[in-house]
Amino acid sequence: MLTSILAAGLAVGAVYALIGVTYNTMYSASRVMSFTAGQLGMLGGVLGSLFVLRLGLPLIVGFVLMLACCAVIGIVTEIVAVRPVLKSLDQHLYVLSTLALALMIQQVTAIEWSTEPQPFPRLFGIGTGTFDEKFWLPVAACAATIVGLEMLYRHTLVGRAFLAIAEDNFAARALGLPERRLRIASFALAGIVGGLAGFSGGELLLAFFANGPLLNFYGFVPVALGGLGNNRGAVIGGFALGVFQQAANFLVGGIFSSVAVFILFIIVLLAAPQGLLGTTPARRV
Amino acid sequence: MPLTRRRFALSTAATAAAAGLGRPALAQTEPIRIGWLAAMTGPSSAPAIGFNRGVLWAADTINAAGGVKGRKIDVLTRDTQGDPTKAVNATQEMISQLKVQAIWGPTNSGEALAVTPIMARARMPNIHPCVVDSLIDPQKFPNAFRMAPSNVQWDDAVRGYCLGILKVKKIAVIGDTTGYGVTAVRQTVAGLIKDGAEVVYQNNIDATQPDMTPDMLRARNAGAEAFVVWSTSTGMDARMFNTRAAMNWDVPFVGHPSMSSGEVANLVEKPANWQKVYTIGFRTCSFDRNGKLPPRSQELVDRFQGKVTLSDTLLWWVAGGVDAINLVAKAVENAGAAPDQIIQYWNRLDKYPGYFGDYTFTPSQHNGYPTQDVVMSEASSARDGAFALAPGYG
Amino acid sequence: MPNAVAEAQADDRVRMGAAWTPILPFLVVFGLAAAVPQVTNDYWVLIATRAAIYWLLVAALNLIVGFAGQLAIGYVALLTLGAYTASVLAAGNVLPPLPAFAALACAGVAGALFGVVVGLPALRLRTFYFAISTLGFATIVTQVALAWQSVTGGGIGLPGPELPSPFNTPSGFFYLCLALAGACTWMTANIAHGRFGRALIAVRDADVAAEAIGISKARLLVTVFLFSGAVAAIAGGLFATLQTYITPDAFTFDLSILFFISILIGGRGSIIGPMLGTIILTLLPEFAAPLAAWSTFLYAVLLLLIVLVAPGGIAALIDFRSRKPLAADRAVVPRPALLDHVLSHHGPTGDVRTGNRLQRPISLRQVVLSFGGVRALDGLDLNIAPGAVHGLIGPNGSGKTTALNVISGYYRPEHGRVTLGDELLGAASPVTRAAHGIARTFQTPRIVGEASVLQNVMMGGTIQGRATFVESLLSLPRHRADERTLRIAAQFALRTVGLERLGNVRADRLQHSELRFMEIARALMLRPAFLLLDQPAAGLSADEIARLGDLIREIGRHGTGVLLVEHHADMIFDICDQVTVLNLGRVLAQGTPAEIRVHKEVVSAYLGG
Repeated sequence: MLTSILAAGLAVGAVYALIGVTYNTMYSASRVMSFTAGQLGMLGGVLGSLFVLRLGLPLIVGFVLMLACCAVIGIVTEIVAVRPVLKSLDQHLYVLSTLALALMIQQVTAIEWSTEPQPFPRLFGIGTGTFDEKFWLPVAACAATIVGLEMLYRHTLVGRAFLAIAEDNFAARALGLPERRLRIASFALAGIVGGLAGFSGGELLLAFFANGPLLNFYGFVPVALGGLGNNRGAVIGGFALGVFQQAANFLVGGIFSSVAVFILFIIVLLAAPQGLLGTTPARRV
Repeated sequence: MPLTRRRFALSTAATAAAAGLGRPALAQTEPIRIGWLAAMTGPSSAPAIGFNRGVLWAADTINAAGGVKGRKIDVLTRDTQGDPTKAVNATQEMISQLKVQAIWGPTNSGEALAVTPIMARARMPNIHPCVVDSLIDPQKFPNAFRMAPSNVQWDDAVRGYCLGILKVKKIAVIGDTTGYGVTAVRQTVAGLIKDGAEVVYQNNIDATQPDMTPDMLRARNAGAEAFVVWSTSTGMDARMFNTRAAMNWDVPFVGHPSMSSGEVANLVEKPANWQKVYTIGFRTCSFDRNGKLPPRSQELVDRFQGKVTLSDTLLWWVAGGVDAINLVAKAVENAGAAPDQIIQYWNRLDKYPGYFGDYTFTPSQHNGYPTQDVVMSEASSARDGAFALAPGYG
Repeated sequence: MPNAVAEAQADDRVRMGAAWTPILPFLVVFGLAAAVPQVTNDYWVLIATRAAIYWLLVAALNLIVGFAGQLAIGYVALLTLGAYTASVLAAGNVLPPLPAFAALACAGVAGALFGVVVGLPALRLRTFYFAISTLGFATIVTQVALAWQSVTGGGIGLPGPELPSPFNTPSGFFYLCLALAGACTWMTANIAHGRFGRALIAVRDADVAAEAIGISKARLLVTVFLFSGAVAAIAGGLFATLQTYITPDAFTFDLSILFFISILIGGRGSIIGPMLGTIILTLLPEFAAPLAAWSTFLYAVLLLLIVLVAPGGIAALIDFRSRKPLAADRAVVPRPALLDHVLSHHGPTGDVRTGNRLQRPISLRQVVLSFGGVRALDGLDLNIAPGAVHGLIGPNGSGKTTALNVISGYYRPEHGRVTLGDELLGAASPVTRAAHGIARTFQTPRIVGEASVLQNVMMGGTIQGRATFVESLLSLPRHRADERTLRIAAQFALRTVGLERLGNVRADRLQHSELRFMEIARALMLRPAFLLLDQPAAGLSADEIARLGDLIREIGRHGTGVLLVEHHADMIFDICDQVTVLNLGRVLAQGTPAEIRVHKEVVSAYLGG
């Protein structure tokens, strides 16, 4: 029982954590939180199933194609829903534009793909029971992403440029960094992370359009808990959330587990609006 | 439905043309309008899509043969998307604006609960296949008739199979977290206990829960000999089948027809995982040990050849749609098109030979499907929309 | 100045006469609606009833989303709660069955309380977080309705309340809903055009300035959540009656989106816009039946278009007045002579405002404040006497603006005290300053761009209003008296600073210098005992600086103590009675302008030459 809660909890928590990283990556590049993060996760599963199962492409080809599509969706988000409203951030128009785009993605998927969960291919066929690949694939993907991002930010020039525009936009531009191109690249990166989340979690969550809003919410909780822009916090928050959710599922049953998660989320947020590991906000006056 | 609007336009044009040929435009040449509340898109749209094929085929066939006493049938479809709000709007539109003679549908219990009082107020003759028991009440809703089994009948069939044919005493009852799942589980548990069986485990599980092992382990530890499952989610069903295989357990699953849906085939890890699953089926749409459908059903399937696809839907849906249109047509033919005439005709039906079932209605009984025709099917045995009878039936 | 008084009152009368124009569209819409049962069938009556019920909820939600700017996307939670509460009480599942109207009233009470619960996170959380939390609430309410079978019927649901005759026929019920929608429209319009509406948009668009004006965001928002929650829940009860039977799956996310998008399509800060938006979105699916499956997609496209192309929505598109061109070379010519009326004890309407006339000074004693590792204020002593203009100068980073922000209560000093006479001024509570008669302007003008100049200035007098929220809601006499007083006072203030001709212009069309004077007019509304000015001359031309100087000097002569933080040394030396020079967070020198001008250390650290 415990092993099964842990296995499922860590696996689904890893997916949530990766969506949290998606949120963070978009935020770092633009100070904007986007409703499309969860939809990218959903598309990872749906497109993976479409390419590998329905169209029968080889696994690697399908995977790369899916990542490419998600990167494109990320870029589209930046161009359509983020860049036009960056000037009026205080009006919070970005909430509306990204919400609209997320809804469009969700509805198109529901109508064109299916309203029922569709099967996701068995990727490698490794493992059974608690060590089935559907449990450790997301965790592996999460670890790889975190390590990859760390290396990117610390050891490559591009990564440091990302950090620069996140830290101080004006100074970075004054230094001559191509801010717009970097932002587009950041959103493409966010798309890739989201797609990876959905693909690695596909055997667990299936290819289902309703995963979009689900991941939007459960992917946001790690961000709220760990602090905006804090990837390590998102990972810790994600795993904690996954295990808590599975435990609640087991203890109080399906209906009330989502209530339990939400109440916990609200309480933590009201107590620490910047997140448990977050930073204090900038001066207002 | 664009199709239906075009049909409407075509048939109206045809009627108008006929009228213009010199015959006076009497009410008798007006088409018979049948409203069809179909959840064609949105969640749980598969049944409506199946019914729709039957509806369109039946209307076409009748019209090709000259219609009902010279009157064509017009099916006016509204896509309610499974949303009770849209269903209410569409129902009122059919009553007041489109002025239909009868309404077939909705296919979704949530919608039916909302529109039944509205149709009753307007005394609109209504046939539907929804399972919720409270939908049918000859006193409150004298206009509403059900041509498919009710929840009680489903429950009786499943319970009868478990206790009478599988002969098990310890049963685990699982449902999803939808309204339907919650109510169905409650009803089954009550029925089992009343019949002296032991419910060793019961739970409503979120259909998106990725791992079913905890629940199934608990059930096994409690000694479950069979699972009754009331879930509309094929994903959840498949996960349970795969978990059963991973646990090396061969407990039978009995219950909701979703477990025999074609989607499950893609979701199980091995075809063997899909064995020993028995779902609600109907004698008229089941083939026996020799692979033969009952004669009347076979005749219908033969007539479908090339015109109606059955491989990706269920025969009972298509047949049900056919029957619905025929019931209205027969009422108009034999009694008249006024609401009271249609209702009175249905109230007198005794073993009306439909394709899906033999319907019997009386003024005090509006559940028309014979309980003995509800059987269990072998879930993985689908062939052109029909299933093999589960083992144990004579 | 009897002439000025008469002019202001004449302005007021002209305004009242033109009051019919904004009402006209509402009369047309409601008139057409009332005709629906007479000329169409039950189907269109049903659709119209649905639109009326949705508008009832949207009108209330409009105050939260459109005016307060809180993005409550999941507000369908209130509809669900109201529908279930009314139905459960009417059906008698918990208590003996209540008559339908009583059940509706109880639903309203439940909605008010739950509305506060749903809305409370808005006070602590950032916008996006709050939006997600409302989505969570929407899910929770549906889950509870699903799970609590014994009361709510679970997935099977329960019948909605049946209303007594004559409301149990389609037309009867329609007229009831129409009447309620009309009443709610009237009430929200009263709020929107009054003191509370202005306070809401101040909180939305200029929340820092709103605090300085004395608007308590928490109290204001909680009041609005109570009202909107109650109305939304009543709409839910009516929805349940319309559906005749409710199940959890009737309360979809799509419905929540519909409510939310109606407001944004209609335009924030407007009543007619969201009303038209709601009607359009409710009617659209009925005309586009083949597109039924794509309806939510189309709503999303519409929302995206609105955000990108016309963020002001329908209201902005039909706002022809704000497109009238303004005169190109406008000059701001203040009339310091009018300060008598603006700052006097007895206002033009005979109202007696007991501001702080006790001649108490503001004092800072040994105030220390750090930001991170940097000591912004390092033991600051400052004394601002009433009736004098006190200049505060110093190099960048010397702590001038920080000192001003400490006085106006935005920062809590680590050590030291800020007092008004003997009374300690609370730290980190900027909202309390206005009641003490302390007003201020900001380094960059913090104004509400979408509101008119007059409305912006009227915001300054928010705490002087005495009508309660309910009195405003029902437009009772005290509310109307408040509005009249505030409007006349604001017009006076505008005349004083020389902006009277721009009163009805949207504030975001003004030039920078005009905005600075407008902020001063807004501050004058408080008849302040102290006026804190944060670099008011920045960006002004030489002429304007001279006029500003005259105005400030006159304000000082009328008994108001002025603290002037500035970089324009000439202006400082010209008009100040006392000058304090700061450096590195502490006082470098203090004295009259003549003394400071030749002070050796000041010259070397700051003035140069």
